[in-house]
Amino acid sequence: MSLERLKAAVHYTVGCLCQEVAEEKGIEFSKQTIAAVSEITFSQCEIFAKDLEMFARHAKRSTINTEDVKLLARRSRSLLNYITQKSEELASSNQEQKEKKRKKNMAASKGRKTSEAQVQPMMAVSEELNT
Amino acid sequence: MATEEGARFKKDTVNKLLHLHFKDERIKVSADALQLMTEMLKVFVQEAVARAARQAKSEDLPTVDLEHLEKVLPQLPIYPGRSFGTLTS
Repeated sequence: MSLERLKAAVHYTVGCLCQEVAEEKGIEFSKQTIAAVSEITFSQCEIFAKDLEMFARHAKRSTINTEDVKLLARRSRSLLNYITQKSEELASSNQEQKEKKRKKNMAASKGRKTSEAQVQPMMAVSEELNT
Repeated sequence: MATEEGARFKKDTVNKLLHLHFKDERIKVSADALQLMTEMLKVFVQEAVARAARQAKSEDLPTVDLEHLEKVLPQLPIYPGRSFGTLTS
C-alpha cells in the first residue's frame, strides 16, 4: 500500500469518526478540521510505533504484545483503564476460542477411540465424589 | 470477535502505519496488540474531535474549525513529546 493510500485510509476513518461525533453533538466539522485530525493521527503513529518498539526491545522481545500497548496508554488513567478492559475482553474471547477448539478436538478423538487422557480425569472426578 | 459497532481503523492499516516507523524491520505486532492499537487510535481521534466540538459549542458556533482543534490539542491525553514537537516545529 502506498503512503498516499495509507493516508487516505486514515482520513476516511477519521471522517467516519467525526461524523459519529457530529451526529451525537449536533455540530459540523469543517473539511480542514477532518484533514488536520488525520494528519495529527498519522504523525501520532510515529510516536506510538517508536515507543512500542522500544518497550518490546526493553523486554528483549521481537514481538510487540498487549503489555507494550498498556505502557503506551499509561499516562492517562481513563485511557489505561479502557485499554486494560479491552485487553481483558480479548484475552477471554481468545480463551473461549481455545476452549471450543479443545472440545472439538476431544469430540473428534472420541469418535476414533477413547483415549486414556480422557478416562483419567473422569475417574478423578468420581473419586472426589466418593470422599 | 470484538464489538463491531461504529467506525474503526482496519487492523491492516494500523499494522502498516506502525511498520512505517519501526527501526528494526523484523519486529512484529501480535494480533491482540494490533487489535488494541486500533482501539487506541480510535480513542485518540474521538478525544481530539469531541474536545474540539466542545470548544466550538462553547463559542456558539455550528461548525468545528481548525482554531478549535488548535486550542484543544495541548489537552489531549496521549502524545509524549507532542507539546515539545509543536514548540520546536
